[in-house]
Amino acid sequence: MAEPSAPESKHKSALNSSPWSGLMALGNSRHGHHGPGAQCAHKAASGAAPPKPAPAGLSGGLSQPAGWQSLLSFTILFLAWLAGFSSRLFAVIRFESIIHEFDPWFNYRSTHHLASHGFYEFLNWFDERAWYPLGRIVGGTVYPGLMITAGLIHWILNTLNITVHIRDVCVFLAPTFSGLTSISTFLLTRELWNQGAGLLAACFIAIVPGYISRSVAGSFDNEGIAIFALQFTYYLWVKSVKTGSVFWTVCCCLSYFYMVSAWGGYVFIINLIPLHVFVLLLMQRYSRRVYIAYSTFYIVGLILSMQIPFVGFQPIRTSEHMAAAGVFALLQAYAFLQYLRDRLTKQEFQTLFFLGVSVAAGAVFLSVIYLTYTGYIAPWSGRFYSLWDTGYAKIHIPIIASVSEHQPTTWVSFFFDLHILVCTFPAGLWFCIKNINDERVFVALYAISAVYFAGVMVRLMLTLTPVVCMLSAIAFSNVFEHYLGDDMKRENPPVEDSSDEDDKRNPGNLYDKAGKVRKHVTEQEKTEEGLGPNIKSIVTMLMLMLLMMFAVHCTWVTSNAYSSPSVVLASYNHDGTRNILDDFREAYFWLRQNTDEHARVMSWWDYGYQIAGMANRTTLVDNNTWNNSHIALVGKAMSSNETAAYKIMRTLDVDYVLVIFGGVIGYSGDDINKFLWMVRIAEGEHPKDIRESDYFTPQGEFRVDKAGSPTLLNCLMYKMSYYRFGEMQLDFRTPPGFDRTRNAEIGNKDIKFRHLEEAFTSEHWLVRIYKVKAPDNRETLDHKPRVTNIIPKQKYLSKKTTKRKRGYIKNKLVFKKGKKISKKTV
Amino acid sequence: MGAGGAPSRRRQAGRRLRYLPTGSFPFLLLLLLLCIQLGGGQKKKENLLAEKVEQLMEWSSRRSIFRMNGDKFRKFIKTPPRNYSMIVMFTALQPQRQCSVCRQANEEYQILANSWRYSSAFCNKLFFSMVDYDEGTDVFQQLNMNSAPTFMHFPPKGRPKRADTFDLQRIGFAAEQLAKWIADRTDVHVRVFRPPNYSGTIALALLVSLVGGLLYLRRNNLEFIYNKTGWAMVSLCIVFAMTSGQMWNHIRGPPYAHKNPHNGQVSYIHGSSQAQFVAESHIILVLNAAITMGMVLLNEAATSKGDVGKRRIICLVGLGLVVFFFSFLLSIFRSKYHGYPYSDLDFE
Repeated sequence: MAEPSAPESKHKSALNSSPWSGLMALGNSRHGHHGPGAQCAHKAASGAAPPKPAPAGLSGGLSQPAGWQSLLSFTILFLAWLAGFSSRLFAVIRFESIIHEFDPWFNYRSTHHLASHGFYEFLNWFDERAWYPLGRIVGGTVYPGLMITAGLIHWILNTLNITVHIRDVCVFLAPTFSGLTSISTFLLTRELWNQGAGLLAACFIAIVPGYISRSVAGSFDNEGIAIFALQFTYYLWVKSVKTGSVFWTVCCCLSYFYMVSAWGGYVFIINLIPLHVFVLLLMQRYSRRVYIAYSTFYIVGLILSMQIPFVGFQPIRTSEHMAAAGVFALLQAYAFLQYLRDRLTKQEFQTLFFLGVSVAAGAVFLSVIYLTYTGYIAPWSGRFYSLWDTGYAKIHIPIIASVSEHQPTTWVSFFFDLHILVCTFPAGLWFCIKNINDERVFVALYAISAVYFAGVMVRLMLTLTPVVCMLSAIAFSNVFEHYLGDDMKRENPPVEDSSDEDDKRNPGNLYDKAGKVRKHVTEQEKTEEGLGPNIKSIVTMLMLMLLMMFAVHCTWVTSNAYSSPSVVLASYNHDGTRNILDDFREAYFWLRQNTDEHARVMSWWDYGYQIAGMANRTTLVDNNTWNNSHIALVGKAMSSNETAAYKIMRTLDVDYVLVIFGGVIGYSGDDINKFLWMVRIAEGEHPKDIRESDYFTPQGEFRVDKAGSPTLLNCLMYKMSYYRFGEMQLDFRTPPGFDRTRNAEIGNKDIKFRHLEEAFTSEHWLVRIYKVKAPDNRETLDHKPRVTNIIPKQKYLSKKTTKRKRGYIKNKLVFKKGKKISKKTV
Repeated sequence: MGAGGAPSRRRQAGRRLRYLPTGSFPFLLLLLLLCIQLGGGQKKKENLLAEKVEQLMEWSSRRSIFRMNGDKFRKFIKTPPRNYSMIVMFTALQPQRQCSVCRQANEEYQILANSWRYSSAFCNKLFFSMVDYDEGTDVFQQLNMNSAPTFMHFPPKGRPKRADTFDLQRIGFAAEQLAKWIADRTDVHVRVFRPPNYSGTIALALLVSLVGGLLYLRRNNLEFIYNKTGWAMVSLCIVFAMTSGQMWNHIRGPPYAHKNPHNGQVSYIHGSSQAQFVAESHIILVLNAAITMGMVLLNEAATSKGDVGKRRIICLVGLGLVVFFFSFLLSIFRSKYHGYPYSDLDFE
């Protein structure tokens, strides 16, 4: 039955004194009747434990009806779901049912497209409203799992004549899935330890802030459903390693397929599972179960993952996936050698084994390197590379470094997101390693790799959170198990058996019954010298207090830190009344109502998805930052002076420019505070035109007041932010034009535009929109007309007098009038 | 005697140098006249230039950075017939100056100059040189310079502008930044090639061979590889290092602790929740480890066999560790995260 774990018998004999192999023998004799599924050579108790196998769950399972237990589990899971769901509703209750932040707006827009145009139309969707003039093939550049899930739920509900708007489905999707996450965490922890730990883990993950941060109502993002898929895939993987059945492995592949369709973090799975297999091989824990599970998983999972258009051929063409392929090859080689062992002598086999394994490993490694160099395999992409070489992104990829989620993590964020769990989960890890077996190897590797990644990037705290919940639950459940119950039972740590396995095993255990009863007696004898009820109740009370503090902390953090939609802002007055600042939606609605349907709006990339989603207008760049040079061009326009910017904006066909300005209300996430990143990204592509040093004072400071650098004071972003701000006096203590965000009086109050005009400014000046004027019909000269250098000596003066105005002929005969002869004389 | 002699000589040299430009001017004029008389004025100038370039090429073939004193500085940099850019580092490398920044800057500068010297694009358009304060004090005075190190670029034509002085305060003196600045000023792109740092590789190789040797020596008794406690310790160390923010320290490089210059108080805890000191992260590491140990001890007390009194003590110690250090951790968190409403008093 169970594969002997040591491949060579000589080695094995040397190992016989080691705790594992000793226990292996024990396990074999004990569970021999379970057949190949019992696998539990390695799952035996810790080396320290005496050979006294009183499986922990058994006595409880027998003494009380299983029905009570499952009803209790069901109730607890249901309540955990309910608690998780309702604690994610702060934002909906305080504000309204609204999509949050930036990325969710894109997801919402595509889901809306899916719901209104159908699935195939969605897959072929070419979005001409984004990345003007390039456009974006949405169907091929997006993980469609989220949209399809929401669209499916919407379709089912509508088929059942429950009319729900697609927006409400999107808003409540993440809280609903958090319940599923806690159930799959329960299942996984139950496989790893026991049912009690599973229930605790389910409760932890339902309310832990590290997960809530990405799954509050309205945060319609990939992570919301991906954590469920991640946990469920891991559960099925552990299950398939335990049973070695193709059924569970295929289920695991389907779950993996769902994960691939939902989130780019699937790379974590496709590297962690091979790592698990590799470490099992190193630990000489190879078995047919592992072979079946991994071979099936790799092949089926590979083919399934390639069905997602966005993933395509990446699983066989990029370095991130090569570890999986390498382990697959190695496992085949290992299995082949195992097969040969039966047909060779010990000595022959030993040499062949070492030769074979090292040749296989070397060949895999070299071929990956060769293929990388020849270009068949893409090298590590920058985002993944920056996880290993931590200084890489800062130097080479400013657009990655500029995102606040990609910063390393301080201990405060760990504590803030995990509270007591961060201090106790190492204890759980300790227990797991001390009582190691196949699946606990997995959870240990999961914990160590996830904690490393979480340390490098704040964002990856999300992948750490589930494993922290599981391990903390193991630690707490261990303590409660010893201190909560009566003095009688539960002397040794729960070994490996989850209760449902116990139920299955019950008929088998009948054989052992006599022996078991005897052991109970010895235990009771021993526990007479227990710790005593006083100490036990003190420990229990204090532990419960800690958990209560954890719950209170989680609620507080959720309510204060993670429940702001960031589309709608709230401010509180001194008397506690609340002001809603709805400037963003006001401005986007203005755009929707007052501009041409095909108008192109230029803004920094943060606001691209919101403009497309709420205002339904064409944007130049958005949060899908795939084209760095396009973003750099927008950055260049923002950081040049108006004339140069106008040229760029003309070439990009810009009609409106939108900036976010927080100086009136003291909103710190505005464009002036982000401005240096625009300059840096622009400088990366146009080093001749934009220089970061020009935007600093000679002392190297970034200032917006009079001492600021003249380049800054005349660049487009500055002018658009502070246009007419100099006339505005916010209160009597400060001069006019006082910026509340940067606490400075602005340096350039006399701002005039030639090519732009102010189109709209929202109530609190948070959003300002400018219209780019069309070029004038007649170029006005910006200089005086050219002056010729022929200066007339004197002004021509007509010599005509009024008398001679009629013209005259020179030497004209002048008549002389004769005198009339008077008749008087005659 | 010797101590008195050196300054006087320097003073003498200074005087001579100061007079030299005015003195040489008529001489040059004479030379120029002579040249014109000979009918090859332009040619002579070219000769002079060629001579200078040849001299510089010869120096730079010997060393990638050549040192200059006031004399050479004026001859090769100040006097006009030039067709080459010159990067000059003004520095003070003498040990008695105690300028540690200068030494670091010098190393970076060396890397840059070597990358240029041995690159395929090497030509006579760009030279690297340096002036040490103790060798060319007069140059410092002449340029009205009072801080070292300073990097300046002297363009082939005209006087150096404001941007020709490298902004050391803001950009730092990494070789890559210097190369970027040079590319900006001279259009010559220097690709910085850092000599690979072998110390890491050697240390790794040493470690691997040590471990391998140890394994080989103890090949008959390999049980310790299977020692779960050891492996558990290693994993816990990784976890503690990460959760206490050592990676943040590695990437951001914060100071160990902060000393208030006014009253001399040393603060180990950073006041803001966005940052931390190295000392602080060590404290957190210890606290986390203590809490974990408390949990493990609680478990030990319940599972181990032995004297009940001893087990009770272990249990109480474990509980004390968990409760005390967690409330301590919470109070540190409170002091950093302003406005956090819950304290340890809630349950004590």
